[in-house]
Amino acid sequence: MTRSTPTNTGEEHEHRQRPLQISLIKRLFGFTKLHARKRNWLLLITATHACQVPALSWAIAATIAGPINNKQLDEIILSAAGVTILAIITYVSWHFRMRLGLELGEAVVHDLRGHIFAHLQRMSMHFYDKTKLGRIISRITSDCEALRMGVQEVLVISLVQTGRMLIAAAIMLWYDWILFMVVLTMAPGLWLISQFFRGRLSHTWRNVQESFSRVTAALAESVNGIRVTQGFVRQDRNAEQFRDLVQNHSDHHLHAAQLTGVFLPLLEWNSQFFISILLLLGGYQVLAGGMLANADPNAQFESLVVFFFMVNLFFGPITVIGKQYNMALTAMAGAERVFALLDTKPQQLDRPDAILIPTIRGQVEFANACFAYEPETQVLTDINFVAKPGQTIAMVGPTGSGKSTIIKLISKFYLPTSGQILIDGNDLHQIRSPSYVRQLGIVLQQNFLFTGTVYDNIRVGKISATDDEVRDAARRLDCLDLIQSLPAGFNTEVGEAGGNLSLGQRQLICFCRAMLADPRILILDEATSSVDTMTEARIQRALAVLLSDRTSFVVAHRMSTIRHANEVLVLNEGKIVERGTHSHLLTADGLYANLYRQFIQTTDM
Amino acid sequence: MGIAIATQTPAPVSTNQLVLRMLKLAWQFKTAAVVLIVMQATLVAMALSGLGLTGLGIDVIRHHVQPDSTSPPHWPFGLAPPSDWPVLSMVAVLSGVVFVIATLRFGLDRAATIWKAKLVQSIIVHLRAQVYDKMQRLSFRFFDANESGSIINRVTTDVQSVRLFVDGVLVEGCMMALSLTFCLALMFKIHPWLTFWCLLTTPLLCMLTIVFSRIVRPAYQRSRQLFDTAVLVLSENVQGVHVVKGFGRQADQIRRFSQANYAYSQQQKWIFWRLAMFVPVINFLPQINIIVLLIYGGWLMIQGEISFGTGLVVFAGVLEQFSMQVGSIANITNSVQRSITGAQRVFEILDEPLEICSPPHAVAMPHARGRVRFESVSFEYNQQESPILSDINFEAEPGSTVALLGTTGAGKTTLLSLIPRFYDPQKGSILIDDQDVRNYNLDDLRHNIGVVFQESFLFSHTVAQNIAFGHPAASREQIESAAKIAAAHEFICKLPNGYDTPLSESGGNLSGGQRQRLAIARAILLEPPILLLDDPTASIDPETEEEILQAMTQAMDGRTTLIVAHRLSTLRRAKQVIVLESGRIVQHGTHDQLLQSQGHYQRAASLQIADDESKRLLGILRPVTKGSP
Repeated sequence: MTRSTPTNTGEEHEHRQRPLQISLIKRLFGFTKLHARKRNWLLLITATHACQVPALSWAIAATIAGPINNKQLDEIILSAAGVTILAIITYVSWHFRMRLGLELGEAVVHDLRGHIFAHLQRMSMHFYDKTKLGRIISRITSDCEALRMGVQEVLVISLVQTGRMLIAAAIMLWYDWILFMVVLTMAPGLWLISQFFRGRLSHTWRNVQESFSRVTAALAESVNGIRVTQGFVRQDRNAEQFRDLVQNHSDHHLHAAQLTGVFLPLLEWNSQFFISILLLLGGYQVLAGGMLANADPNAQFESLVVFFFMVNLFFGPITVIGKQYNMALTAMAGAERVFALLDTKPQQLDRPDAILIPTIRGQVEFANACFAYEPETQVLTDINFVAKPGQTIAMVGPTGSGKSTIIKLISKFYLPTSGQILIDGNDLHQIRSPSYVRQLGIVLQQNFLFTGTVYDNIRVGKISATDDEVRDAARRLDCLDLIQSLPAGFNTEVGEAGGNLSLGQRQLICFCRAMLADPRILILDEATSSVDTMTEARIQRALAVLLSDRTSFVVAHRMSTIRHANEVLVLNEGKIVERGTHSHLLTADGLYANLYRQFIQTTDM
Repeated sequence: MGIAIATQTPAPVSTNQLVLRMLKLAWQFKTAAVVLIVMQATLVAMALSGLGLTGLGIDVIRHHVQPDSTSPPHWPFGLAPPSDWPVLSMVAVLSGVVFVIATLRFGLDRAATIWKAKLVQSIIVHLRAQVYDKMQRLSFRFFDANESGSIINRVTTDVQSVRLFVDGVLVEGCMMALSLTFCLALMFKIHPWLTFWCLLTTPLLCMLTIVFSRIVRPAYQRSRQLFDTAVLVLSENVQGVHVVKGFGRQADQIRRFSQANYAYSQQQKWIFWRLAMFVPVINFLPQINIIVLLIYGGWLMIQGEISFGTGLVVFAGVLEQFSMQVGSIANITNSVQRSITGAQRVFEILDEPLEICSPPHAVAMPHARGRVRFESVSFEYNQQESPILSDINFEAEPGSTVALLGTTGAGKTTLLSLIPRFYDPQKGSILIDDQDVRNYNLDDLRHNIGVVFQESFLFSHTVAQNIAFGHPAASREQIESAAKIAAAHEFICKLPNGYDTPLSESGGNLSGGQRQRLAIARAILLEPPILLLDDPTASIDPETEEEILQAMTQAMDGRTTLIVAHRLSTLRRAKQVIVLESGRIVQHGTHDQLLQSQGHYQRAASLQIADDESKRLLGILRPVTKGSP
């Protein structure tokens, strides 16, 4: 197990295992309610199956110890017929037990994954600001997997194994209780050995995994940085470092082998040891007349043979249940995290009585709006401005001055901590988000593309658009030829996060997406900064088309875009420090004029 | 860049050839493998003898209990104890021997487990290092054509599959053959016909196991793919959460995820059904053997042909062992398949010809003067597509600057990549100091060229190690002076541990501007006479662009520089400006010349030039450069 270290590197700790908690088990069990029929059948079949397995072994053992030992052919055939019927029943019920168990596990996990995803869609931006991608993904991968194991393995297998153990114990008790007592004394030792090694092993396996992730990380870095490596002729050195990492990983593997090399053989040794004890003690029981008076040597011999067959049925479950117990603890940790996520209340961005709004005119007003991501640090203070329908508002200011936050408030990613944002005079809080967001178009600097074709990605702006409409949007932005010149034109597959397109190409697709959405309010957050100048020069006129007729908010560094804005808001440290048109601000000779002067100095002839 | 290239179809390699190569590989580890086989065979023999002795013990006891109806116990190898021994001592001795064998087995088992791990690991370390080393030397073409994930898999998973051939196929196969032989021999010794009838289901067991793994393996692969799709949907929704929310696409995305989720679940169900058919059936077949044993074996015992303990009980035990071993046939056939697919992918890398390497009699280049000339250079990534560069001609004087300008995909990056021979052109040649670059020693050539890429890749080493990337032995003075030229010294000193601050993966703890300045420092550490700057400001927050411009200007000083640039300040300083469009030079001249002629350049420049009105308002209107719009 892991302890949280005082020198926390900001990485919150995730427990690998947690103690059993009734409330979590109940809640997890609650997920089987939807599949109650399956679950009930499963429990019933599992219970009978748990009895059938030891019964079958006993039937075989009894046939050998009884009729065969006593050379009674008729009874041998009769018993064999019994064994056959029992075997068929056992294996048929095994089929159903297995199938239902696996299906139930999958059904529960399927539902959970759906719940998690739908819940994530409701989470606010605050959540995404704070939570790492890897964490979220592990909720539906490793945590759900742990829960599946909890349902299909722990529940079913422990039941079967416990039943097997109890019945085997009962049969042995019935044949010879003294011999069984001897058997029983060895059980705790076996349990301790298996738990001890399992603890050590899981620790070692963690080291193996960690060292392996170092290997893959180094590899990924080498592959992604191969151009640098070759450009700087670094191959030999890298190879040396890589060899060290691989060696280290392999050392951890060897360490694990040292442990399994004791553990598994020890289990095997244990069962052999037991057989030799059985031979000795059983022999004594039979030959010396046993520890009980008047024991019939024949009956004693019979029980000795039965013991040989039954003993593994009794010991096997001890180690298996140990494994299941550990699985259950892992499932608890998974359940705790999954349910914690599902219990995180999404921040309500709409008031309960929020209204649907029809097509808006596009007036946006900030009235004393303030905002803070964390209570102590105010990001925006008393922002006031009105954007009339169709106007273009530019925002300028140094990094961290709050430009992007204003954009996020307009996008309704967050609500202002105080003050209001009014759309056509209605408080944004009182407008139902879907009806508002539908009329927004956003192009951000971090242009995100989904896996799929260029068509699919532009259609994010308007799902129902036809191919022609998509092409038309591109044509109006004057970038039809640029998209058509991609390897497969509009049908080009863009990889994860648009990997095989250039920054500029990705941004063009985002522009088309916004164009297709035909929004009333358009937001461009540093949208052209990753498009190269030559391309920007091309789409400059098209951008004017995009901006016209809509209320637009532009955060831009290139002054050429700002020059034509109806109003420029100059922000510094979360406050509007200057406002007015471009020429007005230049004459005022304040912060804006300074910024502009700097710009001229780097570009002027 | 981002030009997708159709993956080259690998030359079809026959399975036989692959197996032959893997055998050759295994031959290198033959001693260790043979020792392992001997160890494991001994283990099987010990297990069987333990079983036999137990049976003997039972017979001894039984003979004593029913002396009239049973034959005396059959001691192996004529090792019968004197007949006056008390029965209890005989049983005690047998029990002691079983115990001793078990203990010996424990020791040997442990040794074999460790030995096997050592064998496996030594193969893996050997192969991984080899594949990694080769991979690093492959040309950029290879990395363009293969996704990074697939390349990584070759060094991790596929290497595992190849070594599986040694321990999972060869060793395991020999092991199985030996232990099956032992089991069979023992069973035959007990009773040949009993053996025959009891093993009647074995061929069926083999067949079922193999058929099943053929069906289920691809199904599992498909299921994994479906699951990856579901995870991809989730990860995209997290990464692109602003798009999903900004365009109000939550409902579609939930639908998209539940489709993926459902598809995966259905596939799982399909597998579960078959799994739940197969596992019980496979386990039922050995039960049939036992039933045969009960009836036929019971009859034989009544006839007195076999004894109770060493005959029937031992036979039941061996039968169990036998079935277990047969069950592992499926593992072996799986391993064969896996190792063949893995081998194909691993050997593909090992066999990949080194496309770009030093010529046999390479010309050394201690320190170039820095004249770079392109002579009718044409380049295409593959023949099917239109050329990326056609007929490029220009010359850069030592120490001068050439600026390249062009729209996205015009071929600027490709043009730069030809100089350090990241690719070789199909036509024409590139000359440095009047010698074709293909004649130089490759390492020398690249040492003479400093490269700064569009999105600079930094490694998760310390700052100093990153700057000294191309020359790990560089002194601290060298590193600092490079950092100073790249205007990086100041911010580096402010980092928690200065030059020894470790960077997180791809330099995540630095700003874009800081990363690029480190990249510039890295490029100029070796004082290269030629510097290639591929639009270093492209992916930078525009507000921090300023920081880099200064670094660039200082770095370019005294070096032949080819730079992809968009800023007027940079373009103006260049001796020549080349405008590329669809791989051709469409405009070529100085900044002033190009500004005066109608064309792309003028249009792009006009976007950046402050208008006169604004200047007037600022009160800094100076005489405008003649002809400027």
